[in-house]
Amino acid sequence: MSDSMQFYISTLVIYLFIDIIGVLGLNLQFGVAGIINFAYIVFVAVGAYTAAVLSLGPDYPGNFQHYVFGASWPFPLPILAAGAVSGALSLVVGVISLRRLRSDYQAMVMLVLSLIATLIATNATGLVNGPAGLATIPQPLYDWLNLDSLTYQWVYAGWCAFLTLIIFVFVRGITNSPLGRALRAMRDNDRAAAALGKNVTAMRLMIFVVGGAIAGISGAVFVEFIQAWSPGSWLYPETFVFLAAILVGGAANNWGVMLGTLLVPVGFLEATRFLPQIFYNGFIEAMQWVCVGLLILAFLWFRPSGLIPERPGRFRAHPETPPVPAE
Amino acid sequence: MMPAQTDAILTVKDVHRDFGGVKAVDGATFSAQRAHITGLIGPNGAGKSTLMGIVAGAIKPVAGKITFEGQDVTGLPPHRIAHRGIIRTFQLSAEFSKLTVLENLLVAAPGQKGESLWGAELGKPYWGKAEAALVRTARGVLNRFAMTPKENDLAGNLSGGQKRLLEIMRALMAKPKMLLLDEPFAGVNPTLAREIEQYLVDLRKEGLSMIMVEHELSVVERVCDPVVVMAQGKVISEGSMQDVGSRQEVLDAYLVG
Repeated sequence: MSDSMQFYISTLVIYLFIDIIGVLGLNLQFGVAGIINFAYIVFVAVGAYTAAVLSLGPDYPGNFQHYVFGASWPFPLPILAAGAVSGALSLVVGVISLRRLRSDYQAMVMLVLSLIATLIATNATGLVNGPAGLATIPQPLYDWLNLDSLTYQWVYAGWCAFLTLIIFVFVRGITNSPLGRALRAMRDNDRAAAALGKNVTAMRLMIFVVGGAIAGISGAVFVEFIQAWSPGSWLYPETFVFLAAILVGGAANNWGVMLGTLLVPVGFLEATRFLPQIFYNGFIEAMQWVCVGLLILAFLWFRPSGLIPERPGRFRAHPETPPVPAE
Repeated sequence: MMPAQTDAILTVKDVHRDFGGVKAVDGATFSAQRAHITGLIGPNGAGKSTLMGIVAGAIKPVAGKITFEGQDVTGLPPHRIAHRGIIRTFQLSAEFSKLTVLENLLVAAPGQKGESLWGAELGKPYWGKAEAALVRTARGVLNRFAMTPKENDLAGNLSGGQKRLLEIMRALMAKPKMLLLDEPFAGVNPTLAREIEQYLVDLRKEGLSMIMVEHELSVVERVCDPVVVMAQGKVISEGSMQDVGSRQEVLDAYLVG
């Protein structure tokens, strides 16, 4: 295989794993717990910015870009910090929006938050360098590993695979447990769940923070790979790509949403890049958003439970043996 | 008035609640007896469901006091009310539609080890044993209500009557001291309604206290004692069905309402 092909493939593999991490987090919130988080990409973005400024080193006068909290933390601390910051922001947003409001209003709040966040990052230029964004973010352990850039790409793909596995095991620990069952119950009918003694506000906040932290981690791993991050990288429609992956794959099914990630953000959006340019430059890119919207609509109409539907828990017939976990 | 009852499990005292000027509950006072099914009847708009919602913690009262087993529970949130042992069912069926029947029952069990984040992450070695015990308990409940064949059906696919039954089974899994039943027979075919009625009577005989909102007065007459009559947000009569049924204010309320 030629080097350029290897570059392309390894990049796709890295994107796939990072998107899977992000989608698993959103699936916890949306698929499992029923929180319509249209601002998910904001938590990805905040994680990315956190990891970026903590890797770029302190800002100095005359620097071509300006940002706050600059530091040179060693790998993997910026990633952990990204998870913590996005989780903390989720807590703040959750406390404000998830406690009292009805779910349709929550969705509106999230959408507005997404728009506001873009405006802030763009216009508060001293914060994360405004519309130009941050660049030259160092790749983790690049000098220390001392590999040629192609080998480094494959090593990075392996690191992403490893991280995806950790996140998957963690998420599965939730979805396959009584906690996952209680969350799905809350999603189906939160009044009934509360009437049975579940503290639905606390559960909603908890899963919102967990999902937000996962979003932050995916953003951090992404930005350390592409080495640049600007408001244009995380416009609100990006959340809908994640949602499309969940709806196509199968909400509340971890395997389903991973398949959905392979098909939508990676497969569908990559494949359309190879279409010949027609009409005018940028037409294909514009049509991508249209197609993502149509894809969501089509699945909601014709296959609302997705390609691999949610699997309720099954329990063995013999009460002596331990039950089979839910998926 | 009826003779002073000494064994009231729940007392509602002068409870008020208005919705933008409409006095839905306007000074309701009554008590429910231990191991009795207290009927809550009255014309449409009398405030019965609102009062149930207030007792269950879903609606906050603006004034008044509710005590359960001698403790003030006024204004507690729904999950805390449930922890005290008051479990409600809903007027419209409130099943967890994408969970199986068995899962619906399992969810209701209180104090599950695997329901905290850390408990869940510790995995089956930590919560598996308790879970297996719960499955046994839930299967016992399913068996009692002749719903064993439906164990793995999605709750959303049950018939209307089976959903009512599911709610009662689910409520029992929560280890209640008192059930609040809001029209448990609404939309249930007569045969199944009779079965549910018998189950409720059996549960009462086992010592479970209940409050039941019901429109079908013949059912109320068969299973409820005492009966509390509401009209226009107030309790207008309290006593046995034969007793309240002959009172003029009750007849007036039904004719006017």
